Formats: sequence, structure tokens, C-alpha cells
Amino acid sequence: MSWSKIRAKLRAARDIYEGIFIAPYRAEIYREYLRQRDLFFLLGFADLIGVPNPVGFYTLELYPELIEQFHEWHLRLGMEHAPDGGFRCC
Amino acid sequence: MTVDRLLERRLLFFGGKGGVGKTTLAVAVAQYAAERGEKTLLVSTDPAHSTGDMLEISLGAEPTEVIPNLTVLEIDPTAEADRYIRDVKERIAESTPPRLVQEVERQIDIARLTPGAEESALFDRFTTLIEVEGSRYDRLIFDTAPLGHTLRLLGLPEHMHAWMSALIGRRKKVNALNRMWQRVAGTEDHAERRSDRVLEALEERSARFARVRTVLTDAKRTAFVFVLIPERLPILETEKAATALAAHGIPIGAVVINRIIPDSAEGAFIERRREREREYMERIERDLGAYPLLRVRLQETDVVGREALHHLIAGLH
Repeated sequence: MSWSKIRAKLRAARDIYEGIFIAPYRAEIYREYLRQRDLFFLLGFADLIGVPNPVGFYTLELYPELIEQFHEWHLRLGMEHAPDGGFRCC
Repeated sequence: MTVDRLLERRLLFFGGKGGVGKTTLAVAVAQYAAERGEKTLLVSTDPAHSTGDMLEISLGAEPTEVIPNLTVLEIDPTAEADRYIRDVKERIAESTPPRLVQEVERQIDIARLTPGAEESALFDRFTTLIEVEGSRYDRLIFDTAPLGHTLRLLGLPEHMHAWMSALIGRRKKVNALNRMWQRVAGTEDHAERRSDRVLEALEERSARFARVRTVLTDAKRTAFVFVLIPERLPILETEKAATALAAHGIPIGAVVINRIIPDSAEGAFIERRREREREYMERIERDLGAYPLLRVRLQETDVVGREALHHLIAGLH
């Protein structure tokens, strides 16, 4: 058996392993990541939705990064366009 | 208790109810320190400034040297908020994609108009003054706004630090999950672990708040001086404020009792006032006697000019 065949079999074995043990959780991990990111967004920019935020003035520098996440967020929530009052990202 | 004992601390705050003589005392002590040869910075944090009026000069938002060794600064919350907004825009300019610049700037301009903006800007200036500009002077003296406002300002490092810590904790969790996700998705970038600019900005600010809080609560470096007059309302307010400051851990250096009726004053009207004053003096000694007390007599004329300020310091007992 050549090396390339051995490598192909090893790769297949790894794919099977991943398919059984990791893939079912992959989506869950991603969802949790998004949940935590939204929560961070809420804590840092609560004033955007009308909730007073004592540190709002000190998180202004984070706008450029968060404005892009905001776009992704409203798409994820099924809103084709940005809701009123927030960033006008599209 | 003498002024010299008080001046063992590098950072002094003068506070009290409106109209009790905070500015007069702060300017007198600042002038005294400057004449001892210490490079002194006197800062007014009261939005309704009277420090310049006291010195009979017009002061701007930039530090002005009024006599040798004495520099005075009146913080203007409106100008500070504008300056802060300008700084933020400059800092983000290079890292923002061009298509987003306009929207980001629009959002920042909206934030400028929110209710807490000027307070936040004033606080930001206050922390940099203590940390950065303060290090260029031998002594910093703050002539503060009436008590409610000042208690809030001095309590902010604690509150802000708590909020920032919570944000930082969240951000770290987000980053950890992001790494985990990239690992299972097989998109992990080993070559370059990107630094998190957001986290860095948050941590930098949080660390500054923590350092300022350390300075404010250090009795070797900082003292808050209450100024009051022997009347009912200033006493009540000072008692409440002393409790609040103690809760924040800010050391109280002295209580100055201003405008005490001099022994030489006479007349039936003055006698009546003096009787009430005696009761109030007893109350001050009972309730605030735990702190060093300093007394200043009521002067015949307004305290204006360097000579009058010398006279005031000389008469402290």
C-alpha cells in the first residue's frame, strides 16, 4: 500500500470520527458563539435600543467593528433591512 | 491641624455645599503651596466656574499660569465632550472601512447628544488629569462642584470599573467561543492569532479607572477637604456627604469651618447669631470631630486678591 493510500484512509477515518463526535455539536457551538456575541453587543450598546448604558460613551471606538456585526445580526433575525433607530448599515 | 499637615497629600479636593467658600479656600491653599515653591495645578470641575472670577481673570479650557508655580484650569464639559468625540473619530478613522465611515460618524454624533455624554467626557478628562497631566505637577488641587455632583464624579471610577470588567469578561467569553468554533470548523488560523482591538481598548480604559481609584482611596496621596459654614443645612449636607465618601473609601483630610463670627464683633443682632452659632459649632465638633477641624473667621470684606488670601491662610486655626 502506498503512502498516498494510507493517508487517504487516515483522512477517511478522521472524517468518520468528526462526523460522529464533532459535527452534531458544531452548529450548537456556533449558535452559542453568536448568542454570546449578541449579549456583548447588548451590554456595550444598550443605549441603541433605548436602555441607559453608563459606559455607552466609552464604547464609541467599538462602532466600526460592531456595525458590521449589526448587519449580520438583523439578517440572521430575518430582517432584510436594518431596523429603525439603529445603524443604517444597508 | 495646620495647612502644612494637609499639604502632606499631593492630591487635594475642596468640596461642600454651594456658597460656603470652597473656591476661596481652594485658591488660598493653592497660592500658599505655589509660594512654597511647589508646582501646583488648580482645577475647577464645577460647570459653573468661579475660580477665574475669584482670581479676577478670564480662564480658558487650557491650563493658564496665573502666578509663578500656580497653573489654573477650568474644565468645560461641553468642550471636553466635543474634544472626546473628535479624538474617537480620529482614532477609528484608519481602521474603518470607507463605506462605513459616514454611518459610524453619524452614530458617534448621536452619542454626543445623549444625556450622560458631558458627564462621561468630564470624567474622562478628570482621570487623565490625575494620571497624565498630574504627573507634571508637584501638587493637584481640585475646586469641585457642589457636593451631589462631586460625590457622583468621585464614585464613578468604582462604578465604571465594575461595568467595564463585566464587558471585558463577556468579550473574553466571545473570543474563547470563537476560537472553539474555528477549531471544530477547521478554519483556525495558526499562523496569526489576531489581537483583539476591542478587548485592548476596553482593558486600557478599565485599567486607567482602576489606577485612578487606587490613587483616590490612598490616604497618603489624597485628601478630601470639606468646607462648611456653621449653619444648619451645610452641616446636614456635609454629614451625609462624609458618610457617602467613606463608603467610596475616599479619605477625608479635614473639615474647614468657614465664616465664624469673630470675637470682636458686637451688637444685639450679632449676639443672637453667635448663640445659634455656638450650638452649630458644638454639633460640628460632635458629629464631624473625628476629622481634623480648621476654623476661618468671617472677614470684614470680600476675600479678593493675593493679600486677602494670605491673611485667610494665616488666620486658619
